Amino acid sequence: MKIILSELKKFLPELKVESTKLRDDLTMIGHFTNFFEEIENETVFDLDIKVNRGDCLGYYGLARDLSVFYNIDLKLPFSREVRPQDGVGFLPIEIKTDKVTRVMAIKLSGLKNSKSPKWLQDFLKYHGSKSINTIVDLTNYIMFLYGIPNHAFDTAKSTDNLIWEINSKFKEFTSLDGSKLTLNNEILMINNPNKALSLSFWGGESCSIDLTTTETIIELAIYDRTTVRQNSRQLKSVTEASVRLEKDLDPELIPQAFNHLINLILENCDGQITSQLFDHYPNKITPPQIEFDPQKPSLVSGIEIPVNFSIDCLTRLGCQSDIQHLTSDILITPPSIRKDISIEADLIEEVIRFWGYYKIPTNEPLDFKNLPDITPPEIYLIESLKDQLIDLGYDEILSWPLVTTPTNQKTVITTENSINSEAIYLRQSLIPSLTQQLDQYTRFKLPEPQFFEIGKVFSKEGNKYIEKNSLALYNVDQNKLISDLQQLKLEGKIINDNFFEIIIDNLPKPKKYIPQLIKNNAVELNSQIITLDANLTLDTKEDSIKLIEKYSKIIGSEFLWKLIITDIYQDSKNSQYKYTFQASYFNLDDKKAKNLHLKSFNLL
Amino acid sequence: MNQNLEAIKNQYIDKIAALKTDKELESLRIELFGRNGLINNLFSKIKDIAPQEKKQYGADLNQLKTKLETSLLSKNVQKSEKLTSEKLTSTIFGLPKIGHLHPITQTERQLNEVFRKLGFSVYNSPEIVADEFNFTRLNVPKDHPARDMQDSIYIKEPDYLLRTQTSAIESYLLFQKNKDLPLRAAFPGSVFRNEKVNRSNHFVFHQYQAVVVDKNVTIKDLIGTMDLMFKTLYGQGVVVRYRSKYYPEVAPGVGPDMQCFNCHGVGCPLCKYAGWIEMGGSGMIHPKVLEMASIDPNIWSGFAFGMGLDRWTMAQKNIKDIRTLMGGNLAYRPNEL
Repeated sequence: MKIILSELKKFLPELKVESTKLRDDLTMIGHFTNFFEEIENETVFDLDIKVNRGDCLGYYGLARDLSVFYNIDLKLPFSREVRPQDGVGFLPIEIKTDKVTRVMAIKLSGLKNSKSPKWLQDFLKYHGSKSINTIVDLTNYIMFLYGIPNHAFDTAKSTDNLIWEINSKFKEFTSLDGSKLTLNNEILMINNPNKALSLSFWGGESCSIDLTTTETIIELAIYDRTTVRQNSRQLKSVTEASVRLEKDLDPELIPQAFNHLINLILENCDGQITSQLFDHYPNKITPPQIEFDPQKPSLVSGIEIPVNFSIDCLTRLGCQSDIQHLTSDILITPPSIRKDISIEADLIEEVIRFWGYYKIPTNEPLDFKNLPDITPPEIYLIESLKDQLIDLGYDEILSWPLVTTPTNQKTVITTENSINSEAIYLRQSLIPSLTQQLDQYTRFKLPEPQFFEIGKVFSKEGNKYIEKNSLALYNVDQNKLISDLQQLKLEGKIINDNFFEIIIDNLPKPKKYIPQLIKNNAVELNSQIITLDANLTLDTKEDSIKLIEKYSKIIGSEFLWKLIITDIYQDSKNSQYKYTFQASYFNLDDKKAKNLHLKSFNLL
Repeated sequence: MNQNLEAIKNQYIDKIAALKTDKELESLRIELFGRNGLINNLFSKIKDIAPQEKKQYGADLNQLKTKLETSLLSKNVQKSEKLTSEKLTSTIFGLPKIGHLHPITQTERQLNEVFRKLGFSVYNSPEIVADEFNFTRLNVPKDHPARDMQDSIYIKEPDYLLRTQTSAIESYLLFQKNKDLPLRAAFPGSVFRNEKVNRSNHFVFHQYQAVVVDKNVTIKDLIGTMDLMFKTLYGQGVVVRYRSKYYPEVAPGVGPDMQCFNCHGVGCPLCKYAGWIEMGGSGMIHPKVLEMASIDPNIWSGFAFGMGLDRWTMAQKNIKDIRTLMGGNLAYRPNEL
């Protein structure tokens, strides 16, 4: 969500921190701020608002948090209460569903709509919204300010007969941007008897406000959030309104936002109120009463947090309390806007986040505690097998658990919605993955591959999903594979000459096993390994391994894959020794590998 | 394998075994893999195979190709220079081939060791999970917007899915061991999200999580233990800040951020100019999560924290493409030169 500093300061006139500090402080109290940028003398912040804080999808909610954090006053924008004149009629609105939590509506007439003033256009631009006209832009402005979506209907198109209902008769809906959506019978809508007018979270083209609009019904509403979320998913449509309406919003905030919006429209577009106020709020929500032990923030955090701070913090957050004694439990009623506070742990969290996590020491980990070992034995088996295989010279690989081709069509488990359409089956064997790995190594001309994988394989028996731990091996040298299997005491059939696989769940398991701590190399290959020979003539016979170490050092480890001596000859004529080295290079092209090779063996 | 291809394989394996010199080897390589070689000829004949047999034939042919390629590659032959000298030995000298652990396993073991020393067991649970264990028991009921934080891969929507987080293992742990309190467990695990696979994203990645349930557990214990983990991985000099962060399964929730190792907090493209990199999530186990596991939150409390392993492992091994970690072009130098 974007916020701009000048607008935030309207709520917090005493806010005087640097932008960098504001970014960091917002983050520390739970509103991760990715960055801020200066645009045309304005500072724009980009925040991640978490799903439990629907109240912070508007400036007002964020400003409340910051007023507590900085201990400064929160100022609400001045808005006259909307008071229709005597004698104006009632709106013929019908609410036919219990999915409407609260809706306030009123009719305005004699309006002069126009292009928006520059401040409003700029505000929307900073928030990534397009300016349409003054009335529409003001409805969006109020949504950004309070986090409550709202809507304006052009009554010349919609009539006054608005009906909130679960759709039962309309098949299609065209949104404000012209998108055509197919409706079903679960969609919460605002209609008139003849037309589909609006979704709960997206206005419709059929009653849109334009520059000729002179009369409108303005409504602010909050709905059953699950219904909005389901509708948004069913219609595959996410809007600024749906993002807010599927959170827990505060119906008690509607009058403030409503008054503000109506005042702004009347100020900017003239006109007058021509209906009574419609306010449907059948089930007034009562905030919970929570028993709070003021010592708990200290007990939970592990550091001393003064009780007075806890009480003061909660009071500044707008909590009501029946404080009798600071030593006993207090009954706390959180403000209605804070839907995320429902149990004592939430109150404790509030106190600690404003006290500051940075005050908690970072150098006091848990002490050792001797507890019964609940490690499943198969974990010890897997670790033990891995170590044995490493000792035998095998490399561990990991492969995709989702594969393109089933091994057994009858028992394969198929994913229902994988967006990687080429891999939708859960693997039933590790061999296809190892074969793919071998293909890859062959393409890279990797010498003498021998590798293994231990991983889950999956199958279905009736309605049961079966997971088993499997071990698969590949060795280019079949004889070594056979002797290694004997050493590991693994019995089974060798597949395609060089592969082996076994389900390990039934193998004997060690009671306990502490695996080796190994830090070994691993390389991301980007091109073929290039192998080159070098013939060197030496006057004396040298130790071969020392020669390998010497030339390995000269070549350097950055590009050298492997270095061996393949031949040693003694020249009978002049008593010299000829050594043939074979050096393999990686992540180098032919030319660079050759240059490095010639330079290293002094063959230039 | 197709009988004809099997016969060809056996014939050429024998020929490869009989090779003596590099000239013979090159000649056989051309015979097999040259532009007009046997393998290309066999591939060109796929069009003549009956449609129902094509797929199997193609697979067999690929297998044959791989087999012959690897056999040729691993064949050591005598060099064909004209020698006036006497060969001293037939032994090939080199450092011994050593086996290697996958970098993810190395990191997992490193962390397991840290926690083992604090009395933690290592734990695991199935990768196919019921919705109940992946979400509901973690305080994320159906249609809760927190579910949008994770795109799930379903086996049978909405009941069964591939676990999206190692917190699913925590659900099993609390459910299965609720009579064995206090407990300490750590668990590495693969988790799955419905992401398109590309250079930066994968549908499967690796997380590490640790859980404690005991009496009088505090956030100080959590932060101190988490900090120990970060210092083990990143070194004593690592700068980590702890802040408020929401996760439905914890309250209070704590987010660790590491100061960007690239810009040291100044802001750069790597950290998206924040100066900090989000390292995972943690917090005190939510009382509702304990209650759902039949653990009395008035007696017991606990903490949980988790982090991703892939990015860290990639940075440590200088791996640029996340696909490399899973069946890609990850390889190991045969010995430490």
